[in-house]
Amino acid sequence: MARPAGDRSGLGKVTIVVLCVLLLVTMAVSMTTGASGASAWTMLRGWFGLAPTSEVQAARDYAVFVNIRLPRMLLGMLIGAGLAVSGLLMQGLFRNPLADPGLVGVSAGAGLGAVGIIVLGTTTLAPLTAFLGIYTLQIASFLGGLVTTFILYRVATRSGHTAVATMLLAGIALGALAGAVTGVLVYVATDSQLRDLTFWGMGSLSGANWTKILTSGPIILVALIAAGFMGKGLNALTLGEATASHLGVPVQRLKHIVIVAVAAATGASVAVSGGIGFVGIVVPHLLRLVIGPDHRYLLPASALLGASFLLMADAVSRVIVAPAELPIGIVTAAVGGPFFLWILLRKRSVFAW
Amino acid sequence: MIEIDDIVVEIAGRHILQGISFTAAPGQLTAVIGPNGSGKSTLMKALCRDYDYAGEIRINGRDIAGLNAVAAASLRAVLPQASTLPFPFTVREVVALGLTAGHPGVPQAALRRLPDEALARVDLAGFGGRFYGELSGGEQQRVQLARVLAQVWLPVLDGAPRYLFLDEPVSSLDIRHQMLIMDVARQFARAGGGVLAILHDLNLAALYADQIVAIRSGRLAGVGAPRDILTDRLIAEVFDCPMRVGRVPAAHIPFVLPQSADGAALPTSKVA
Repeated sequence: MARPAGDRSGLGKVTIVVLCVLLLVTMAVSMTTGASGASAWTMLRGWFGLAPTSEVQAARDYAVFVNIRLPRMLLGMLIGAGLAVSGLLMQGLFRNPLADPGLVGVSAGAGLGAVGIIVLGTTTLAPLTAFLGIYTLQIASFLGGLVTTFILYRVATRSGHTAVATMLLAGIALGALAGAVTGVLVYVATDSQLRDLTFWGMGSLSGANWTKILTSGPIILVALIAAGFMGKGLNALTLGEATASHLGVPVQRLKHIVIVAVAAATGASVAVSGGIGFVGIVVPHLLRLVIGPDHRYLLPASALLGASFLLMADAVSRVIVAPAELPIGIVTAAVGGPFFLWILLRKRSVFAW
Repeated sequence: MIEIDDIVVEIAGRHILQGISFTAAPGQLTAVIGPNGSGKSTLMKALCRDYDYAGEIRINGRDIAGLNAVAAASLRAVLPQASTLPFPFTVREVVALGLTAGHPGVPQAALRRLPDEALARVDLAGFGGRFYGELSGGEQQRVQLARVLAQVWLPVLDGAPRYLFLDEPVSSLDIRHQMLIMDVARQFARAGGGVLAILHDLNLAALYADQIVAIRSGRLAGVGAPRDILTDRLIAEVFDCPMRVGRVPAAHIPFVLPQSADGAALPTSKVA
């Protein structure tokens, strides 16, 4: 059935189906790519008894799949979806296609929490580490993101209304402050901590395990599900806060949910994977070019493409310097940076910036 | 019926509105006039609950302070002065935003055609597939009016009138489209809805309004039919500028020209 001119809802739905298929493909690639040599081929042969595999090799392949690749794949999907959706939410909230959690200091605050634990976790903050155990890094990072968001919100909110321009400027100031404190921590760090910090800061999924999934996963999932209900409201918000409220959107509640969802997804992602850049900008941007700016379709599409994008980047990071691994943040930045510039050069005229 | 009862708005210690009271009846187009800074837009913002106010505003007998966002959106739609969009929406998508809070009274079958019908009403048939950002300012203003019309598509819902609030709806339009927009607003009123419009052009107000509300320095200067409000004395007082109101013999519709138009100089001391 033909749709009226200017109605892109059909395109949005088709794109979401295509992205589901793409995600299944990248999941398969992610599960069967890696330094151990446990390829899809050897796995399948082993399972169907086509080739004699020793007990030892079968046990080893099983361990590789269940303890290394499966958690790594799930973590990659969660973080990719979380980062892409966080970016999209920020862009909708600030009515600016270049906004990102990195921009308003949320990532910097989350990073400060994580760096604080890496540097001081065995000395000054040792009691905290002892108390929280394996969850210390995630919780500190998540709290860092939330505290930043909370301060940001208090600074920018007057009598129940959040001034987005003030919030943007306050976010830049808070990001600089968090960066300065992080710098001091880096300055006092030992050599081995510096090495940890550097690799954490470049972003990596290599430390994926079930503990990380169980600590960060639920936080990211709840944020993603909450975001899924914000589509209509974010569409109305593109006309401005006053007009959105005239259209029947409870604007303050919408902003609260968006801010907490972004803090949660960003904090949880930064804790387990460090700085993975460009996903939050490139993924929503690319999708906006294809299906338009309707958030009802952009939200699920960004989650799907973000997950696929990170799995692909992770697969590249695993094979490009095998048997070693490149931090995934390097891959996303190396792919995302030029891609982003190309988009800007090619489609500059379409955007009403 | 919109009942505005002793509205006071105070911003940063300054009283922008000081005790405004009037009613705007359904079936009528009410024009709000007054000089820049008189409080017209503040009144509109209080009516839309963008500003806190003292006093009471009732629409169809219900205090608007107690309405939730969806209930308020079903009662009235608001046309802002200008709207920029940060993302590349198509014209049809912008009009469809008018249906954000639902589409009470509009059957599902008619819903698909509604944005295109709203566009046709503002003389933009066939513009649905264009990008909003590529249109001229006047065309964008008409797209926004189509969005606002889509929000309150039925002027009367379940026996209760609905309302259009228009903040300078024709300020960026050429004369043909000024008339077209005012005709659309008047049709909405004639169909049983109510219209409250801030207008700068006194002649348009004279031509289209059933009731005129004149505001000066945050106070009510007069409420009544155009022929009672658009008088030499009241207009000169409200706008602080000597005016002479004339009449076209055929229709007995008042028209207003600044005095300098017939040769007399404007008093420079007042302008400074």
